[in-house]
Amino acid sequence: MVDFLRDFIHILRSSDLRVSTSESIDAMNVVSKIGLNDRSLLKDSLSFSLAKTLREKEIFSECFDNFFEENYMNFNDEKLPKIFDDKNIKLGDIKDSDNFQNNLEELYKNSDKTSLMTAMALAARDANLQDIKLFTQVGMFTRKIFDEMGLETLNNDIFQASRDGKTQREEELKNIRENLRIEIRDYIENQVKLRTSNTGKQLREDALSQMRLTQADKSDYKIMSGIIKKMAKKLISVHSRRKRKSQRGLLDIRSTIRANQEYEGILFETVWKKTKVDRPKIVALCDVSGSVANVSRFFLMFLHSLTEILPNVRTFAFSNKAGEVTDLFENKDINIAAAETLLLNGGGSTDYGQAFVDLEGYLENNIDRKTTVIILGDARSNYGDPRCDVLKTIQEKSKRILFLNPEPKSVWGTGDSEMLRFVPYCSKSKVCSSLFDLERVVDDMLRSSI
Amino acid sequence: MSNNKTSSDVSAKDLIENIQSNFEKQGYICNTHIATAIFLSQSLGKPILVEGPPGVGKTELAKATAEWMEKPLIRLQCYEGLDEAKALYEWKYGKQLLYTQVLKDKLNQIVSKSDSLESSIDNLNNFDDIFFSEKFLEPRPLLKAIESENGSVLLIDEIDKSDDEFEAFLLEILSDYQVSIPEIGTIKGKVKPIVFLTSNNTREIGDALKRRCLHLYIPFPDPFLEEKIISSRVPEIDENLKKQLVSFVQGLRSLDLKKLPSVSETIDWARSLVLLNIKTLEPDLARETLNILLKFQTDIDVSDPEIDNLIEQSKK
Repeated sequence: MVDFLRDFIHILRSSDLRVSTSESIDAMNVVSKIGLNDRSLLKDSLSFSLAKTLREKEIFSECFDNFFEENYMNFNDEKLPKIFDDKNIKLGDIKDSDNFQNNLEELYKNSDKTSLMTAMALAARDANLQDIKLFTQVGMFTRKIFDEMGLETLNNDIFQASRDGKTQREEELKNIRENLRIEIRDYIENQVKLRTSNTGKQLREDALSQMRLTQADKSDYKIMSGIIKKMAKKLISVHSRRKRKSQRGLLDIRSTIRANQEYEGILFETVWKKTKVDRPKIVALCDVSGSVANVSRFFLMFLHSLTEILPNVRTFAFSNKAGEVTDLFENKDINIAAAETLLLNGGGSTDYGQAFVDLEGYLENNIDRKTTVIILGDARSNYGDPRCDVLKTIQEKSKRILFLNPEPKSVWGTGDSEMLRFVPYCSKSKVCSSLFDLERVVDDMLRSSI
Repeated sequence: MSNNKTSSDVSAKDLIENIQSNFEKQGYICNTHIATAIFLSQSLGKPILVEGPPGVGKTELAKATAEWMEKPLIRLQCYEGLDEAKALYEWKYGKQLLYTQVLKDKLNQIVSKSDSLESSIDNLNNFDDIFFSEKFLEPRPLLKAIESENGSVLLIDEIDKSDDEFEAFLLEILSDYQVSIPEIGTIKGKVKPIVFLTSNNTREIGDALKRRCLHLYIPFPDPFLEEKIISSRVPEIDENLKKQLVSFVQGLRSLDLKKLPSVSETIDWARSLVLLNIKTLEPDLARETLNILLKFQTDIDVSDPEIDNLIEQSKK
């Protein structure tokens, strides 16, 4: 029983479901209360202690069905509890003796599917099948498990038969060998499906968060917006705590005295002043022309995933003219909003000068010393007038300007890049080309603004 | 061993069915999933965290459990800014103060008896202990639940509305069922209370808290269960109308609404239809009474064009 639960929890963990030790102990207790006979009852009960959000319950349900489909096909089968019980060891003993090894042929001929599965499961354990990572390893593990089960003896028998000229027996044995190989392969492939459904995803996610966003492929968008959600969640939990702490102010003497009048003026209860938190206002201006579109897309997604701690975000997108896209992101699904932004404002040749003028027009008096302006773009203005004077007035009105550029520093100022002329007006200018960079930049911004 | 298992298995299943039928007697209709959760929480002594959309009977579940077990229900409603003093215990400052005033003469006597400063301080020290004893302790819901002699059902409602700090503070109570009061010591309950926590998921609950609880998710009921609930709560309803009404509400839930109609709203609607003495559902009638089910004008606007369709379907 312990074995089967450990195995199952291992699979849950590899499917991106965090199960702590105390939860697995709970699961053990649950099983000892419920028993193994009723499958739907077992599924219900285990889900209480192992899966703790709606999403986790879905994963759990899928894993449970797959797992029990494969490994323990029928709970009411009388032979089955053997795998779970202490008798396990006994079976292991048999395996070690020649008895088991020699009888691969007999095992195949005489026994039912269940004992064949049992034998395979045992051999798989000895071959460390739980370490399998990629589907390319299936061949190797098939061989290993076959060996464990006694392939050598079978091969010898085949050799013997062919030397003795018993062609019929040779054919028969070869058939058995082939069938067994298929069985084992199927078994392993199922195991791979169960165990590695997530490791591949993990690798992919890691790679994607490091990759340059300009190279991102459409097929990866879905995974990437998932990564952004994760990153945003992390940042929210880090920064919301700090914010709450900074809201408490000094001791309010007057209110304290008033509150304690009922105790004859003896000060029992304290009343604290509330500091007024100046909520940071953020204005983001994103270049959505071809070259930078991807980065902007993900940056906008990121900003709008943070509404919980950044309630005042206004976003603008531009290529040759700037337009406000805040409403798009607030009222629509974030993926659709991103796509529409590109459709509405993308295309056309980039003109930074015009974008700055437009931005100033939109903001007018809505920009003050609490506002952080973030500009994201490659600063390639197609030799148009960059209008640094407008950027300067924006800088004077706002708290600060951050410039995020997806191009590496070495090419800033080359060709039509006006980056070097913008830098003096920005309190910070950074290279920002991957999701990982984005996370760091946003984290930095939150740290200094709240 | 396999034989043992089957016997314990049968009894577990029976117990779960027993819980279910007992709940039914209280008028709380639930499926085996919910009953299993109650059974496990009882036999493992673990709190249950109940999540689900508003109005599916999370709080009702705790009430039904309390009634079934004949134990007092102690309820703690969470809100932002809830702190120890309101949840756990508080010193009765006023009473302490009053007592020192009333006992002034007595204190004078005690102090005057002693000849040196040191001994009078010693004497006063004894009083200190009296003033910080359980007599001056005002137990709040959590302490009440732990202290209760015959056990109790503790309902910590809408835990997601409280602060992170309060959640962390609950950890000691939920895992050990004990409370530390610096002046008195650790108070440990004789009987473990049965604890329910409910959450509407306005905020993600911390992992540490989740780890200590069994997690039960109650979704909207399926048509069969909802019909059962309606006939239990509104017994006088016409059989045919009940079927129509449930199918209509289930249809509404599939629309893209701001707030989906909950079970409690279905019950309200059923009651009002019975009051209006109605036997079959008609589109006009549904439009007029829709504000019982839907609480946002935008939702009513969204569902308006679908009503004829839904009624048509529900008549099948």
